[in-house]
Amino acid sequence: MTVTEAPPAEAVEAAAAPSPSAPPAGLAAVVGSGDPRTVGKLFVGTSLLFLLASGVIGALVGFEQADSAGEQIFGADTAVRMYTLHSTAGLFLGVMPLLLGLATAVVPLQVGAPTLAFPRASAAAYWTWLVSGGIALATYAFDGGPFGTDVDAVGLYVAALIAVIVALAVATSSVVTTVLTLRAPGMSLRRAPLFSWSMLVAGTVWLLVLPVVAAGLLLAYVDLRYGDGFLGGPAGLYNRIAWLFWQPTLYVVAVPALGIIADVVPVFARRRHQRHRAAMVMLGLAAALGFGAWAQLGASVDGGTPAPWLQDGTWNIVSYLAVIPVVGLLLLWTATLGTGRVRLGTPLILAVFSGLLVFLGVAGGVATAIESLDLDGTTWMTAQALLVLLGAVVAGLAGIAFWAPKLYGKLLPDSLVRLGATLVTLGALAAAIPLAISGTMGQQRLVAGNFGGVDSGDVSTVETLNLVSAIGLSVAVLGALVVGLAMLTRRRGDGPGDDPWDGHTLEWTTSSPPPLGNFASLPEITSEAPLYDSRYAPATATEGSA
Amino acid sequence: MATASAELEIFSEAPPPPPARPRVLLIGSALLSGSAAMLLFTLIALYAQIRADVLAGGDPWLPGEANLQLPPGSMGMVTLAMSLVTAAWIVQALRAGDRTHALLAFAVTLLFGAAYINITVYGWQQLGLGIADSTQALLIYTITGLHVAMTGVGMLFLVVMAFRALGGQLTGRAAEGVLAAVLYWYVTVGAFAVVWYAITITK
Repeated sequence: MTVTEAPPAEAVEAAAAPSPSAPPAGLAAVVGSGDPRTVGKLFVGTSLLFLLASGVIGALVGFEQADSAGEQIFGADTAVRMYTLHSTAGLFLGVMPLLLGLATAVVPLQVGAPTLAFPRASAAAYWTWLVSGGIALATYAFDGGPFGTDVDAVGLYVAALIAVIVALAVATSSVVTTVLTLRAPGMSLRRAPLFSWSMLVAGTVWLLVLPVVAAGLLLAYVDLRYGDGFLGGPAGLYNRIAWLFWQPTLYVVAVPALGIIADVVPVFARRRHQRHRAAMVMLGLAAALGFGAWAQLGASVDGGTPAPWLQDGTWNIVSYLAVIPVVGLLLLWTATLGTGRVRLGTPLILAVFSGLLVFLGVAGGVATAIESLDLDGTTWMTAQALLVLLGAVVAGLAGIAFWAPKLYGKLLPDSLVRLGATLVTLGALAAAIPLAISGTMGQQRLVAGNFGGVDSGDVSTVETLNLVSAIGLSVAVLGALVVGLAMLTRRRGDGPGDDPWDGHTLEWTTSSPPPLGNFASLPEITSEAPLYDSRYAPATATEGSA
Repeated sequence: MATASAELEIFSEAPPPPPARPRVLLIGSALLSGSAAMLLFTLIALYAQIRADVLAGGDPWLPGEANLQLPPGSMGMVTLAMSLVTAAWIVQALRAGDRTHALLAFAVTLLFGAAYINITVYGWQQLGLGIADSTQALLIYTITGLHVAMTGVGMLFLVVMAFRALGGQLTGRAAEGVLAAVLYWYVTVGAFAVVWYAITITK
């Protein structure tokens, strides 16, 4: 594999002197590239495509649930399988790689590193993820996936999903190692930008959680191939995955999203992030509380009751505690915006949307933990997962709009991005709120093997709510398409310049897009916002406070 | 004098050296070693849970035809424990710049790894159960098989790092690579201690 990353000194020399051999161009430059920006953009682009596919399938399943007695799109059994495709593709091929792709491209720039710690490993991880993800999706065409009937196809699905998880773990370890070891001189961990910090804490937890999923899948695979189905066979397979969509593990997926918001808000407030260290603690706490592998035994989706210890103790406490870091961060951002001179840029608007969705999702988790409300196992939890994950997607879109000059060498058109993100946000709310209401009426989650099942309440009302939810998800997909269109175009006018937002962190000191090796020279780093210091307050910079 | 002055001028115009990469390979290996350990520990946790459920039902854990002997597992544990010493010997020899002892330590560590795999395969042959015979057999084969795979990866890691270190300088990034491989090896041995206790000792 040809690798095109280079340390800064070599990059400067390469720019000055003609290269004896021409660098690869076209497809070869993409396939053979170990450049973090190229790999990151590949992750971002393909994860958005997978998210679109996941959204379309989710909407179709929703329409199916809107009229369970009438015309069928899939049929009940296939609809349940399609729902598992929608959820697993949304997480493993959509939200996680979207955030990871952004981190792969942006984190080296933020910490002042010439490249990633393991650029070749990240490139290999991307291609492994892409091929394995494609195989996992393709197995559904051959009756594979959870609840599938062809054991060979189900086995292939499990093996492909394990490969996806391994690839995500390798790419994550590359980002985490970059933050730990390749920070620029003067940048202590306390001075790390909040997105990089969020990837460090969340990535560490991902590295502990992903193997737990992989272990469950590995055992399921061996059981499928050689065993007697003691884990439940294809029907029990989703039990090995579903706990990722359940609190508290669900929240750790969204921690990098909080990191993106935390980097966007102070730039558009034109103000140092209020209590930077407190924000770091909050992000760390959110990631620590999101380590939910211990709670997977309670995440039974096949109609079984959760383990009693789960409802009685620790799980409830963690569900309540998980709100604290999110609320704390919201307060810090409100304070930052309140004391700043706010410029209503597109990334800020998207960040606000994202914060709102994630907060609603996490707050919904408190209600789930209240046993007397009896929401466990209902579509209330589906709504909660939708809010958190779509909140993370909107944060990812905010990150794309914010870092577009560094990723693509251009600014995205404001109107299209705002329209698309507004549609995604409104669609997310319209998809989640009806499901939350139908959850309070007793509608079981789809994968509980109870298609369209309602324990109590008015069935026609529930089906109407399902219809509204499906329309909402369709609107979100439409919004994502609009943002995708925006990514293919550019804002009118001159180029973006090196620092179009008056940014605070190191990525804005280099050109847009950055050269190979990222930086020719780095400024002195004396705080978490070195560019803010040089621009606004060099004499009075007080690290960690206003 | 003029030549020396010209050389100094060249040095003064030379670009700064690339920044040091402080223990990148070591930190990355530590992170992935932790992930590998989590993979194995999850399987052991599932094993313990299923075993507890069976025992709570009043049934014996292992089927009557199972012949899970102590010696293979225990010898495997002793073998890997000895490899901890030889792995430390590798690091010590590299620090001392002693190429001969480093080579010897690499060879003995790899030999211990191969011996462990051999004794585990022997244990499988003696077990008296096929992987498809029962849930217990499936779990035992999956867990021990995964650990054998982890050991194989560790041996490969050691071989690659040995070539890098012994083929070049014994210090710097090459030595860091060896340290990373040794760290992974220690995690692998530590993980086997848990496997050994959970499967061989408690039966």
